[in-house]
Amino acid sequence: MSHWTEEEQIEHYYEPSETSPAAREHLESCPQCAHRSAALEQDLAEFRETYTPFRDELYGEQVWQRLAPQLPQYNVAQKRRWGATAWWQVLSYAAVSALLLLGAFHAGRQWEKRQQPPNPVAKTAPAPAVKEHLVVVVLSDHLDRSERLLVELKHADGDSEQMASPIRDEARSLLAANRVLNRDAAETKDPALKTALNHLDRLLAQLADEPGGLNTGTIARLQHEMNAEGLLFEVRVLRSRISDEQSARPRTGGTI
Amino acid sequence: MLRMGKNDHAAVQAVLRGDKEAYGALVVRHSPRLFRVAFRITGNEADADDVVQDALLRGYRKLEGFQAKADFGTWIYRIAVNCALDRIKQRKRDDVGRVAEGSDPEQDEVQAADSAAGPERLVLSGEMGALQAAALRSLTADERTAFVLRHLENRSIEEIAAALGIAPNPAKQSVFRAVQKLRTRLALLRVKI
Repeated sequence: MSHWTEEEQIEHYYEPSETSPAAREHLESCPQCAHRSAALEQDLAEFRETYTPFRDELYGEQVWQRLAPQLPQYNVAQKRRWGATAWWQVLSYAAVSALLLLGAFHAGRQWEKRQQPPNPVAKTAPAPAVKEHLVVVVLSDHLDRSERLLVELKHADGDSEQMASPIRDEARSLLAANRVLNRDAAETKDPALKTALNHLDRLLAQLADEPGGLNTGTIARLQHEMNAEGLLFEVRVLRSRISDEQSARPRTGGTI
Repeated sequence: MLRMGKNDHAAVQAVLRGDKEAYGALVVRHSPRLFRVAFRITGNEADADDVVQDALLRGYRKLEGFQAKADFGTWIYRIAVNCALDRIKQRKRDDVGRVAEGSDPEQDEVQAADSAAGPERLVLSGEMGALQAAALRSLTADERTAFVLRHLENRSIEEIAAALGIAPNPAKQSVFRAVQKLRTRLALLRVKI
């Protein structure tokens, strides 16, 4: 039998029971393969001793304290009502809805036919669905970048300019986009989004334009403000929700 | 008040019936294990904390889709692995992006040197743990996750494949490549010492 390859050695290291008797016999009788196998074991053993900080159940309690206020309650009352509704009622609703939908579609087609020739500018403008999708993508990206900035701020110590300077630059870059999105959010009926963008606006403005730059005291104060408002979590919840909404949308043939 | 006596299945059912507090028992029970795997994959305590929170939040939001026959611990563990994987992919993208933007070349150089933790610097620190961390950082996100799950978490190839959302053979290849790269990297670092 030929010598073991490195892949065979690795496979044997993790799953010795899968090694064939012939291969095992070769390993026992071949000093070269035995030596290489021992070297592999020694290398991999070093990675077994990597340090991992310990966390007990108290940690779980702390996670829960942070998580609980952000979780909505599952509403079962509505489901029960639907469950209790007779099937024929559901069918009736569905039939009426389908008829209404068909009527609206037909009326729409008729109305469209009576219109003037379409405006060429209107043709080039994005469809509302595409525009809406674009806004969601931009918002998702903005929240993602904001979350990363807040995490960096959370762990910044302000002693090093090397750490403070990228935070300030990123805050300046995010501020303009945040104001545009904040203006759009004011027109929507999404209080959570409005509140988060308002909080974010205040913090970004302070980070970007703090007179005298970002020092230890300023960073500590901003960290305190951020924690008091639960801003990082607020942004994380929104980002997660927007991301879910984004993935639930049907793709529009690569328009974005 | 958390009800620790309830098993996972009962807690999930209680949450879906509208008892939000029941999720607390699941959070308390599973957080330490999720933190451990998140830390091993990300290599960073703050990132691991964020991953735990993110995974439990995602878990709560998707709880209605959770199959009653499945094991909650395994399910939430997979979500945490995915969150950790996303996190290190994001970190790598950020590192590349920051260097590419080049707003301040001198500063970028310092940052890049710090994140790569060059051999000379590690020799000066003389810590084997730093060598291992540097070697692990040289892996791709998928390789690192596959290696951590195989080597430190003792997961089977099938479990790793399921967690990464790939077939068993590519999962096995990721582990092979990770081990080969780590050994090469360790050998180089040892020569430097």
